[in-house]
Amino acid sequence: MDLKTLTEAFGPSGCEQEVRALLKEAAQALCDDVSIDRAGNLVCRRKGSDPMKPSVTFAAHMDEIGFIITGHTEDGLLRFRPVGGVDPRVVVSKWVLVGKERLRGVIGAMAIHLQTPADRERVLDYDNLFIDIGARDAKEAERLCPLGAYAVFDTPYTEFGEGFVAARALDDRVGCLNLLDILKSDYAGDLCCVFVTQEEVGLRGSRGAAFHLQPDIAIILEGTAANDLGDTPERFQVCVPGQGVAVSFMDRASIANQQLYQQLLQVAQEHGIPHQVKRAVTGGNDAASFQQAGKGARTCVLSVPCRYIHSGNNVAKLSDIKAQADLAIAFLHSL
Amino acid sequence: MRTEDFLRDITAIRGLSGDEGPVADFVADAFRPYCDEVWVDQMHNVIARKKGGGPKVMFAAHLDEIGLMVVNIEEDGSLRLGQVGGVDPRILPGQRVWVYGKDRLLGIIGAKAPHLLSAEERSKNYQREDLYVDLGLPPQRVREQVQIGDQVQLEHRYTALQNGRVAVKTSDDRACVAMMFEALKQLQNLRHEADLYFVATAQEEVGTRGAITSAFALDPDFAVALDVCHADTPGAPAWRTHKLDSLVASMGPFIHPVLRGKLVEVAKEQNISLQTAVVPRSTFTDADGIGEARAGVPTVLLELPLKNMHTTVETLDSKNLREGGRLLAQFAVAVNEGWEDELWT
Repeated sequence: MDLKTLTEAFGPSGCEQEVRALLKEAAQALCDDVSIDRAGNLVCRRKGSDPMKPSVTFAAHMDEIGFIITGHTEDGLLRFRPVGGVDPRVVVSKWVLVGKERLRGVIGAMAIHLQTPADRERVLDYDNLFIDIGARDAKEAERLCPLGAYAVFDTPYTEFGEGFVAARALDDRVGCLNLLDILKSDYAGDLCCVFVTQEEVGLRGSRGAAFHLQPDIAIILEGTAANDLGDTPERFQVCVPGQGVAVSFMDRASIANQQLYQQLLQVAQEHGIPHQVKRAVTGGNDAASFQQAGKGARTCVLSVPCRYIHSGNNVAKLSDIKAQADLAIAFLHSL
Repeated sequence: MRTEDFLRDITAIRGLSGDEGPVADFVADAFRPYCDEVWVDQMHNVIARKKGGGPKVMFAAHLDEIGLMVVNIEEDGSLRLGQVGGVDPRILPGQRVWVYGKDRLLGIIGAKAPHLLSAEERSKNYQREDLYVDLGLPPQRVREQVQIGDQVQLEHRYTALQNGRVAVKTSDDRACVAMMFEALKQLQNLRHEADLYFVATAQEEVGTRGAITSAFALDPDFAVALDVCHADTPGAPAWRTHKLDSLVASMGPFIHPVLRGKLVEVAKEQNISLQTAVVPRSTFTDADGIGEARAGVPTVLLELPLKNMHTTVETLDSKNLREGGRLLAQFAVAVNEGWEDELWT
């Protein structure tokens, strides 16, 4: 499994089957106990040989931000809404794949020549944005892309610059890729890697997983907004691509277990794994589910710094993706 | 080469206004097999001549494209942007671009994250000044590669939609260059009296400059300018847009009425449907520049409806490429010496 295949797979929240099928096949080659739970999460368990070692759970989400079809206009355009948080300003003049057939579509906008000064200022919101698949009328549009069909940005995986990658859904296919690496490790304790659904619409998949898994330790592999370039004041910069995996002490949904947090930083330091502390208390992720489910778990989040995170072009540095896996595996070996 | 393939290939080639060299070479090579002579002039207009003994007819569609250029390199290595031609800043956030530094570099256009904006900022579009290009390179490497003034081209994707519709950037106006290509292919099997000049013009987006010089140089008897017009789009005023599926013959003071009548007549004979656009002023196309060349050139304007003009997803009906090519070829066949006497009747 490679990152290109994973990021080009179609998987907005609630429609993760393509991603799940890919991961299931890959995971089955690595461990015997692979199952799908009632929330659609892919649960991969590996029994350890050493009962003295603690049981550790890792989680990453399969779903990505995307769109869902909500209507059809007389002239054959598709009305749509975002699934997860997608600022409408990053949607204009972009390419999408729609529905089961993955039909090609584009999101157009009225030409600049026709805009009034007010049009130029006003954000084109989802009431005024449409997907065009080339259908001639509402009937054809509805036949090809019925209500409830999902769509995603159509973005190829492209490496660029000095070790960077631009792709769709790096948030959180980087975590998915690294869970597979963790399953390849030779940790002697019990290990569970869970690929969860519906993170982008409110941490929904992980809630179910956390409830039935009840782990002692849960480490979440994520992609997190970097906000390191351009006009962002320094105090709002979160982390820097290229400076390693970002370890969170706290975000808006959970607080890291202090001992676990220190332990992860120490392991990173001892093994010379590039790392940084996530400098701002932003975002929220599946750690919240694990921290609060049942009797609670000790959690910590390891993130790949990611630019333009909820747009069609996520940007991350390949070395940070590797550092995320390296730290997770080095941590296991330190136990 | 199929005309659709011509469109796919030509729209990928760099050619911002003032930098039409590479795209001009492509057009010259593609037109050459179908013409008696082809040359590229000093402004990068491509002129393809198909000889005849009759009146001189000039067909013109522009080959330059709108785009961006580097106006500043920030300390963190991100690039600030200026524009060449009218680029809608709304299309830029999250877009991929090619930066033509020493090498061709892929960049992503970024902006301040929405959650860091004030409520007021969030209610407005990002302006070009708010955006930057991220090359994924350390600042030092950026400075080695990129200079202020380097050109920045928007991402090219040729997307075939349903019903023969196609979304591809720079259809304005290379789709009309493709129409000329189609006309040239069709003319291989037709006899014409007129001396034909198919001109792919430079620098239209900054003021029909290539049309002015090429029309001066060629001194045509009649001219047909080809450009795109707006197809129906949600939110657009209906009187300024047209149906996507058939060509448009404009009328108004900048369009020669008798010559337009001739074009409409040929369309009727050939069963090619035409819509009418009324343009009460400058057309802002090559028709303006050609019409005022030398002592004046009787000029008509044929337009191809396009959705989302000046975006990366300019959308057209590919049937119009063939129909437009056929109309141009048949018009070229119809031109004769007698037309001169009818011009002011």
